[in-house]
Amino acid sequence: VRLFDFIGRSVRSKTMAVVLATAFAALLVNALALLAYEFLTYRAVKLDEARAQAEILGRAAAPAIAFNDPKDADASLATLKARADFVAAALYVADGRRFAASARDAESQELLPARMESEMRAPGADLLHVSYEIVERGQRIGWVYLVTQLGLRARIGAYVAILVAVMALALGAAAALSARLQRAVTGPILAIDAAARRVVERADFSVRAARTTDDEIGVLAEAFNRMLDEVQVRQEQLRLADRRKDEFLATLAHELRNPLAPIRNALYMMKIAPGDAEGLANARLMIERQVRQMVHLVDDLLDVSRITTGKLILKRERVELQSVARNALEGVQPIVQERGIDLSVALPKGAVSLYADPTRLTQVFLNLLNNAVKFSEPRGKVWFRCAVEEGELVAAVRDEGIGIAPAQLESIFGMFAQADQSLERRSSGLGVGLALARRIVELHGGTISARSEGLGRGAEFVVRIPLPPGAVAEPGVIAPVSRPRGETRQRILVVDDNKDFALSLASMLRAMRNEVRVEYDGAAGLSAALEFRPDVAFLDIGMPGLNGFELARRLRAAPQTSAALLVAVTGYGQPADHLRGRESGFDHYLIKPIEAERLQEILGGQHA
Amino acid sequence: LLLRALWAVIFGGFALLASPAAGQQPQEAEVKAAFLYKFPAFVEWPAPARPDSPFIIALYGATEIAEDLARFAQGRDVQGHPIQVRILKEGEPPAGAQMVFVGRESARLVSIARSLAGTPVLIVSEAPGALEQGSMINLVVSDGRVRFEVAPQTAERNGLRISSRLLAVAQSVRSPKL
Repeated sequence: VRLFDFIGRSVRSKTMAVVLATAFAALLVNALALLAYEFLTYRAVKLDEARAQAEILGRAAAPAIAFNDPKDADASLATLKARADFVAAALYVADGRRFAASARDAESQELLPARMESEMRAPGADLLHVSYEIVERGQRIGWVYLVTQLGLRARIGAYVAILVAVMALALGAAAALSARLQRAVTGPILAIDAAARRVVERADFSVRAARTTDDEIGVLAEAFNRMLDEVQVRQEQLRLADRRKDEFLATLAHELRNPLAPIRNALYMMKIAPGDAEGLANARLMIERQVRQMVHLVDDLLDVSRITTGKLILKRERVELQSVARNALEGVQPIVQERGIDLSVALPKGAVSLYADPTRLTQVFLNLLNNAVKFSEPRGKVWFRCAVEEGELVAAVRDEGIGIAPAQLESIFGMFAQADQSLERRSSGLGVGLALARRIVELHGGTISARSEGLGRGAEFVVRIPLPPGAVAEPGVIAPVSRPRGETRQRILVVDDNKDFALSLASMLRAMRNEVRVEYDGAAGLSAALEFRPDVAFLDIGMPGLNGFELARRLRAAPQTSAALLVAVTGYGQPADHLRGRESGFDHYLIKPIEAERLQEILGGQHA
Repeated sequence: LLLRALWAVIFGGFALLASPAAGQQPQEAEVKAAFLYKFPAFVEWPAPARPDSPFIIALYGATEIAEDLARFAQGRDVQGHPIQVRILKEGEPPAGAQMVFVGRESARLVSIARSLAGTPVLIVSEAPGALEQGSMINLVVSDGRVRFEVAPQTAERNGLRISSRLLAVAQSVRSPKL
């Protein structure tokens, strides 16, 4: 790999280097093999050649020797002189006498033996000595003795020169061919490279690499493109989520500000006409409504944060479907009346026992019912139907309202989704209701789904929650929707170090025609309780000196107050605090702000 | 170099001492016998009837040559056929011979050639103008060296082929009118 550092960084030059190196190696091996072969066989070839030469000479000179014709013999020998490798030659008669001789030069002459001897002379460097016995028809005529130049060094030199030339040519051809053919390989890579550069330089994820081959590079291009697809999708999702958040913030600001104007108006009315009892009552009702709306919004916000941080925890217990359904129906009652909706309800006759978080499940049904009512025309129809099917609770809320576009059937369950994106939308809320409902249902192990024939054609939401075994225990009659309200006069103690809150709570309780006493710290609260003997005590938790938990324990311990209904009132809503509250003897655990209806529930003796 | 010169002198001396024996000119008859012995190597005969039949060389006259030839040919053969040397008297037919030498002494070359016309017998002679009398190879002495002249067409008429290589060393090649 390091080798490539010297060659260059582009794929093109690396490919070229690979091709040339491969070709060079192959050629080199080939050349060396040829050289070795030549080296090993050249001597034998030259020896054969010299022998053939000697034989030809012998045949030609045979009559000259046989019939003692030196002139003719010299002529035969002279023909050899033309040969480049000729050194010396001699003819001998049958009895071994030298008959004729010829040599390249005087020195070479001495290489020839004076008489034909049985053993050959040792050949000199780069020389070949060959003898040939001339035989004609079985008759020995004489001998030929031939000395030729082997020329091994010159031969090898020539070979090396040729091989070098051939290698240079072949490498040139390989380079030219490779330059043309490698485009098939490097072309697609360079295309991907170019695409990648464009993506990086311009942050443009819509660029795609052209897939021109079916090989690995094609697969790579495909994978690269898919990654870009994915990046694009994610980018789009991010942008959408971001937009949703922006919209949510805008909605939130809008929704939080909406109630403020009526409240300000009401306060203004209270200021300018303090004696107008009817006006004051209207103003109070207006403020109540708007504050409830704001509390609802803030609760939603808290739920959103719980969902997003995964802290939504169920407090499941045995609870009857009918009670949950009733609570939800009760909650939706005001808006149903306001819009004149015809709400028909069908519940199972027998009591259906659920293992669920009643508050959360109520929230789900209430959300669905609220939506159905909100998105219906005035005096429209809404159906709420609960049934047990195959071990499941199936709760359906149907309306004939604005409906849902098919494309949105799934996305409406997303966080901050709004059914109607127009400015004049008559709905209000943060668009978290369905997301919350889905999360709650899922935590119960169930499912929630939406159905709609399309825009303007109504919608139906179906919740399915698995029932515990033996859920439908006994047949019974549907419980009455309304319950007696706590209207009886009771003695109530309020202990809270926040004077404003304490006083406002007290005045609310007094308005409900109760006898109320207020204290602002734990110790004073304890002594007041022992003397006042309240039926109900609202105790703040975080107080200096004696805190709410300790005060509750002491009240439970004291015989004067052991039977009192103890209600914790706190800004903290942590489950751990809730549990601690129960351990300390609290019957109820309320989180500020407190709704008047909740107070009535508690004072009416309803134990959740 | 000095050493080499010294050696050359010594060997030169030896060469001079040896020359009376080695350099002695061979007798003319001996050379002619050697020629006769070597001619069959350059002449093609039709295939003989039997593979083990002898190769017969018949000589008229020329006793000295015949003796030398008999000595050369002792135990030798021509292509597997053992050489037999026969000395014939004047008028005796060369029955079964492949080669006939008509010596200078004989005056019967013409009749011998006629009697052998058409048969594959190589006729060799040593008389001037012998080729015109039907001889195929005629030995001559020129400048003290034994040479020969050849009439290949005469030989061909008798079914013999004389090698062109033999013709190359002949003194002359002729086609005499017979």
